[in-house]
Amino acid sequence: MEGSCWKKAWKLFLFYAKIGIFTFGGGWGILAEMRKEFVEKEQIITDEELLDVTSVGRSLPGTMIGNVSFLFGYHIGGPICGFAALIGMIFWPFIILSVITFIYARVLDNIYVARAMVGIRAAVVPIMVAAIIPLGRQALQDRIAWIIMGAAFLLCSFGRNNILAVVLGAITGYLIKGVLKVGSDNNA
Amino acid sequence: MVLTTMLELFVSFLKIGMTSFGGMSMVPLINAEMLNHGWMTVREVADIVAIAEMTPGPLGLNCATFAGMRVAGLPGAVCANLGVLFPTYSIGWVAAVFFERFKSSNIMQCLLYGIRPVCIGMVISVVIDLSQSNYMLDGNLYIQPILIGIVALILLMKGKQRIPVVIIVSAVLGILIVR
Repeated sequence: MEGSCWKKAWKLFLFYAKIGIFTFGGGWGILAEMRKEFVEKEQIITDEELLDVTSVGRSLPGTMIGNVSFLFGYHIGGPICGFAALIGMIFWPFIILSVITFIYARVLDNIYVARAMVGIRAAVVPIMVAAIIPLGRQALQDRIAWIIMGAAFLLCSFGRNNILAVVLGAITGYLIKGVLKVGSDNNA
Repeated sequence: MVLTTMLELFVSFLKIGMTSFGGMSMVPLINAEMLNHGWMTVREVADIVAIAEMTPGPLGLNCATFAGMRVAGLPGAVCANLGVLFPTYSIGWVAAVFFERFKSSNIMQCLLYGIRPVCIGMVISVVIDLSQSNYMLDGNLYIQPILIGIVALILLMKGKQRIPVVIIVSAVLGILIVR
């Protein structure tokens, strides 16, 4: 990508605003588009670099694609480009969701909308179940992981303390894998 | 008063962002924060998840916009988004600066080894909460949503249908059979 820092930032903003609108349920669509645009067409980044940016973005807390966009923008042209990519990525989703929230509060009393919402709510649990099965296969590869999961489940269900569960999980992970060097070796 | 709410929204979503790793792993944390503050009911949390899944953009950001808008309007939505993105522009920035060193960080892999199973445990706990709210009515089983849920599960697992399709089918079934 040629041009000054601001010009690059504007280009990144436009690119992410353009593709940000096409991603449903997760950021993998954006990644595919990034590959097409920056690896194949513009050739400013290699496949390997894109994979590195993705794996770092995934291992940081927060939204995966937010992290990846920021890291990629930063990689191309420093912090200004990082923020340009991030703002471009959230631009349309933010506007669309704002409008939907506005409408949602006004139409909920309608009997047909209320019935449709009962149906939609009924689909949420299956959607979550279908999403965690592959995640579970990746996360639960040995007995220690199963024990951690069970403890987290109890802590969240009865203690109502999610954040404590995450922090304890991180500490346990560090002690078991970093200090004791046991546990399976999945870096997926 | 409004300012306090905005600050609370920012802090809540900061906690959500800092302790979750994207996608569904955010739902339990959003659920807990919304209920603890009395900002939403379990039913409304289910609505956000469905709406956020139906619209473009990452789930966490869409939930932040929806929750922020409902609690404190547009300024609330901006605060919630800034909160959920906090790890991106703080830790992400540090990671970007030390990129070469960060990408092969062993410590991060160790922490994630412990955190991933926690995410699964959290999601299962929220699935049970949501089931009680979505498939029960006044302490009895609510048959129609249960049937819709079974159809949705079959569409997802056997039919390999995409989420927007499943949500639209469920909405239509809701209009047709729910009384």
